[in-house]
Amino acid sequence: MAPEGRPAPDPREHAPDPSDTEASLLAQAQAGDVGAFERLSGAYADRVFMLALRLLGDRTEAEDVTQEVMLRAWQGITRFRGQSSYFTWLYRIAVNEANRALQRRSRRPPGVALGADELQLPASAALDPSRQAENSELRRALGQALAELPPPLRTALVLRDVEGLSTQEAAEIAGIGQAAFKSRLHQARLRVRAALGDQALITAGG
Amino acid sequence: MGMPGRTDDHRWSQRHLSHYVEGDLRPRARRRLDRHARGCVDCGRGIRAMRALVYAVRGLGGPAGVRAPETIFDRVRSGGPGGAPSSSRA
Repeated sequence: MAPEGRPAPDPREHAPDPSDTEASLLAQAQAGDVGAFERLSGAYADRVFMLALRLLGDRTEAEDVTQEVMLRAWQGITRFRGQSSYFTWLYRIAVNEANRALQRRSRRPPGVALGADELQLPASAALDPSRQAENSELRRALGQALAELPPPLRTALVLRDVEGLSTQEAAEIAGIGQAAFKSRLHQARLRVRAALGDQALITAGG
Repeated sequence: MGMPGRTDDHRWSQRHLSHYVEGDLRPRARRRLDRHARGCVDCGRGIRAMRALVYAVRGLGGPAGVRAPETIFDRVRSGGPGGAPSSSRA
């Protein structure tokens, strides 16, 4: 307990500055320290894995892609010049690798839907059973509609609407200009809207 | 050249509902869509549907607590093909 009359020490005073830590880990990783690379990239591993899962809809493929993302990031770490955030750079690699996986998949029979377990609407205990059933149905329909989007449109929708990234950051990750990115996003929304139907969306939106 | 007709406005509005919801329309275009939607049941419903869609998609998330598998650095650790950073191999 802090002595009377003196404020308790603020634990944040001694916490490392996250940006300093990232910069330091980056420098060590670029010098060849694999442990530093794992700590640096590990901070984003869950998000990268979820992104791959959202784009691919298959856990095994997402794991494979995430492994490949980390390998490619490690191999290219010395070329990272800090022109974007490390997160943006890593996410861009993830989008590229997921698209490569989708291209490989396109040579196989289509129709792999994003699993309902991978894509969930926020659960609300306040919803009555019939509304929960509607949400569950909407979730399945959304997953199916997303899975049927061409990869560039799906990527735009996932980065902007699911991940909630800014248009600027999402466009940078997708590797295109903001105007082109917005065009893809709007096309994606129109297609999903058409697939689900206005009434289903309005009803689910309450 | 005459003013766009109702059919033109309707098609144009339907194509721009996402831009409208995103706030991407210039003020004049926004007023055009607003004016049309006030008298068009389809476009009024379309705006509500587009808003609901964005809300629903933003709510899509993985199951709480989904973690990346522990294997994600396996290829890095095993060296992989050319597994070390390019400069450290030089």
